[in-house]
Amino acid sequence: MSLDLFLNQVVPVRQKLFRFAYRLLGNEEDAQDITQDALMKVWSQQEKMPELQNMEAWCMRITRNLALDKIKSRKYRLADELDRAGEVPSAQHSPHTMAEKNDVMVKVRRIIHELPEKYRTIIQLRDMDGYSYQEIADILELDMNDVKVNLHRARKAVREKLQNIQVYGL
Amino acid sequence: MDYNHIIALLDRYWEGETTLEEEALLRRFFSESHPDMPEPLQEAAPLFGFFREEMEKEQALEELLPEPKIPVETSPAKVVPLSPFRHWMKYAAVLLMAVGMGYAMKQHQRQEIKVHIAEIQQQKEEEETRMAYLETKKALQLLAKNLNKGTEKMQKLAYFNEATGLITGAN
Repeated sequence: MSLDLFLNQVVPVRQKLFRFAYRLLGNEEDAQDITQDALMKVWSQQEKMPELQNMEAWCMRITRNLALDKIKSRKYRLADELDRAGEVPSAQHSPHTMAEKNDVMVKVRRIIHELPEKYRTIIQLRDMDGYSYQEIADILELDMNDVKVNLHRARKAVREKLQNIQVYGL
Repeated sequence: MDYNHIIALLDRYWEGETTLEEEALLRRFFSESHPDMPEPLQEAAPLFGFFREEMEKEQALEELLPEPKIPVETSPAKVVPLSPFRHWMKYAAVLLMAVGMGYAMKQHQRQEIKVHIAEIQQQKEEEETRMAYLETKKALQLLAKNLNKGTEKMQKLAYFNEATGLITGAN
């Protein structure tokens, strides 16, 4: 792989790699490190490039593996999402509405983060990044049908918890 | 606004049957304000709101992402034909060492011959000394023998003198 190819096809997806790493690690600096490590690893494995059908999925897979290794090796403590929940104020709403909205957001965030890692990643890749089933299957090294089944289960689990919030305020 | 289409879409969304385009449509719908939103849609609104907020936050972080360290391309090493005389110092050093060793060996041989000659000369000298000693010893032995002969004669002569003295004294 020439440097041009790397610059044109790999470097432009670094934001997606960073986003993916950030979601897994919950820490901006570590996500930046993992993104850089992933780029270096892609470069070091450039001989595999001609065999690849989806380079972006390959880069995402490398990023995920590096992030999961980091979590495992250092007994990584995920940042407390609840602490960061109140960061997005909106000037359009009254303080009461804003507080209510933040409360709901905290609960939704908790629901998502309580999902098993596979469910959470699939839902994020599909609903936030807009990846196709095949692309998600390539990233997570799963069968496409498994992706569909897991996405359905993940959404079902989220829906049940959202209904609990709506009905019982839980 | 007709929400039935959105409700139907949302049902398919929960079942995992929507396409990417339909999901984009749902995201767009929930990003807008709908005060009279029916209940089935209200349960999904916080989820899509969460997706939107997370993406906005991630986009803000992405802007702070530093430029990646681009690996330096390693070009294949250029082959430069070398002249056989390029490393003349190497050859000169080998030659010098060979000459030095030859000279040292020759010197060593010379030294050995000198030592050998010196040994032979010493042996010769020793032999001569020994011969001289033997000759001297022989001569001294001869002298001693002759001296002993003289002593006997002198003793006899002394007897005569004594006898002569006695005879002369008696007269």
